Amino acid sequence: MEEKLKMPVSQKLYGEFIYWVTVVSAIICMVGPVIAMLSVENNVMNPHYFFAEIFAGKSAAEVWQTVGGGFPGGHFYLKHPFTGDGFTQFGLALGCMCAIPALIAAAIGYLRQKPKVYLYAILCVWVTIMVAVSAVGIMKAH
Amino acid sequence: MAQSVVDAPVKKRSKYLESPWPESILMVVVLILCYIALAFISFGAETPPGGMSGGRIFMLLFGFFFLSFVIALVAVVAGIGGGVLFTPILLAFTSLDSLIVRATGLIVAMFSGLISTGPFMRGGLANLRICVFCAAAYGVGAFTGAQGAIYVAKYLGATGEGIVRLALGGILIGLATFFIVGGKKIEWPEVKKIDGFTKKLKLGLPYYEPSLKKVMHYPLTRAWQTLCAIVGVGMLSGFFGLGAGWAIVPAQNLIMAVPLKVAAANSGVLLGMGDCVAVWPYLLMGAIIPLFAAPWLVGQVLGGLLGAQILIRIKAGFVRLILIGIMFFTSFGLVCKGLNLLGVMGEVPMAVNGGVFAGIMIIVVRGVIKQIKSGG
Repeated sequence: MEEKLKMPVSQKLYGEFIYWVTVVSAIICMVGPVIAMLSVENNVMNPHYFFAEIFAGKSAAEVWQTVGGGFPGGHFYLKHPFTGDGFTQFGLALGCMCAIPALIAAAIGYLRQKPKVYLYAILCVWVTIMVAVSAVGIMKAH
Repeated sequence: MAQSVVDAPVKKRSKYLESPWPESILMVVVLILCYIALAFISFGAETPPGGMSGGRIFMLLFGFFFLSFVIALVAVVAGIGGGVLFTPILLAFTSLDSLIVRATGLIVAMFSGLISTGPFMRGGLANLRICVFCAAAYGVGAFTGAQGAIYVAKYLGATGEGIVRLALGGILIGLATFFIVGGKKIEWPEVKKIDGFTKKLKLGLPYYEPSLKKVMHYPLTRAWQTLCAIVGVGMLSGFFGLGAGWAIVPAQNLIMAVPLKVAAANSGVLLGMGDCVAVWPYLLMGAIIPLFAAPWLVGQVLGGLLGAQILIRIKAGFVRLILIGIMFFTSFGLVCKGLNLLGVMGEVPMAVNGGVFAGIMIIVVRGVIKQIKSGG
C-alpha cells in the first residue's frame, strides 16, 4: 500500500489558495471578453479600435490615450466593474494578487504549528508586503 | 521532521472526482460556451469606421488562446516556463510594442507557475520554505527589473526597442546552447558540508518519490549564495518578461543542492509568487491591456493543467529538441529585428527567414529521428 506524507498545514493552505484563486481568475478572464464584445460601447476602450492600435505597433500609453482618452489607472475595475474590460481587468488583478491571501494563510499556518515557525511566518509577511506595496503602487521608481 | 507524519491509507475514488479534473472540465465547458457566444456576437457585430471587424477580433482572441495553450503545453512538457517562448516569439515576429509584449509575457510566465502551485504543494514535491525564502529575494530583483524595463521604454524609444530585442536574442542563444550542453544538473546532489546559516533555516521537507517508492530527505547548503543568485535571476525575469525557471532550477540544484525534481517544482511556485510583485508596475502603468492579456492567461492555465497530465505519461526528450530549434529561430528573428530597429540593417526578406527556419527544422527533425531510433 502506497504511503503518503502529510504535508504541513501552511504548505497545503498556500497551494489551495493559489490554485483556486487562479481558477476563478481564469474563468473571469474567459467571460470578460464576451461581455466586452456584447456591448462594445460599455468598455473603457472599444475593442474594435484598440486591437487595431496595438497591431499598428503603438505603445500602451498611446493606445489608452487614443482609444480610451487616457489610462484610468491599474485598478480601474473598481470604478468600472460591469464593463467588459473592467471585469476582465478584475480577473487579471485577482490572479496577480492571489499570493496575498495565500501567504497570509501560510503565515498563520506557520504560527499555529507546534513548535511555532516564526522565521517563515515573517518571510511570508515580508513577501505579502512586497506584493501589496507593489499592487497599491507605493513602490515606484518613476 | 516534526510536521511530516505518515497518513493512514485512504480508499481510492474515481480520479475524475478529484482535482484537477472537476475544475478542468468546468473551465473547458465555460471556455467552449464563451467562444461560441463570442463567435456569434463578433461575427454579427457592425464594424465602426476605422475599427477592426468583429470577426477579426474573434479570430485574434481565439488565436491568442490557442497559441498560449500550445506554448503552455510545450513549455510544461519541456520543463520550462511559458514566458521563455511567448516573449521572444512575439518580439521577433510581430510589430507589437515591446513593453506590451514583455508585460503580457510576465502574465504568461506567472500563470503557468500559479496553476502548477496547487498540485506541487499538495504532493509535497515543492517546498514552501525554500520558495518563500527565495521569493523574498526574487521579488526584490523582479520588481527592480520591471522598473528598468519601464525606464528603458520611457526614455530610450526605438533605440531601447532595438537593444532589448538584441539582448533578448543573445540571452536566448545562450539558453538554447545551455539546453544542448545540458548544464551540469544533478538529480541527487551530494552535500559534503552544511553551513551554519543554512542549518539554522531548517529548509528541508521530506517528500514521497514514486519512482523510488520511498520518502526522500534532502540536506541543503549555501543558502546565502543562492539568495544572491536569485536576486539576479529576478531582475532578468522582471526586465525581459521571461519566466526564469531555466535559471532558478540550476541555481537551486547546483548551489543549494536541491534535488532536481524538487528544484523544478519550486521554480514554478516561485515564479507565481515572485511575479505577483513584478507584474504590478506593468499593470499600474497600463502596459497590460486586459482584453489582449486575458486569452493568453486562460491558455496558460488550461495548457498548464493539461501539460502536467501529459508530462506524467510521455517521454519528453524530443520536445526538448523542438524547443531548442524554436529558440534558435526566434533568436535569429530577434537579432535581425533588433539590428533593423537600430538602423544597422534593413528588413530581412521572407525567403531568408524561411531558409533559416527550414535549415533549423531539418537539424531538429534529424535529431528527433535519431532519438526515436535510439529509444529516447
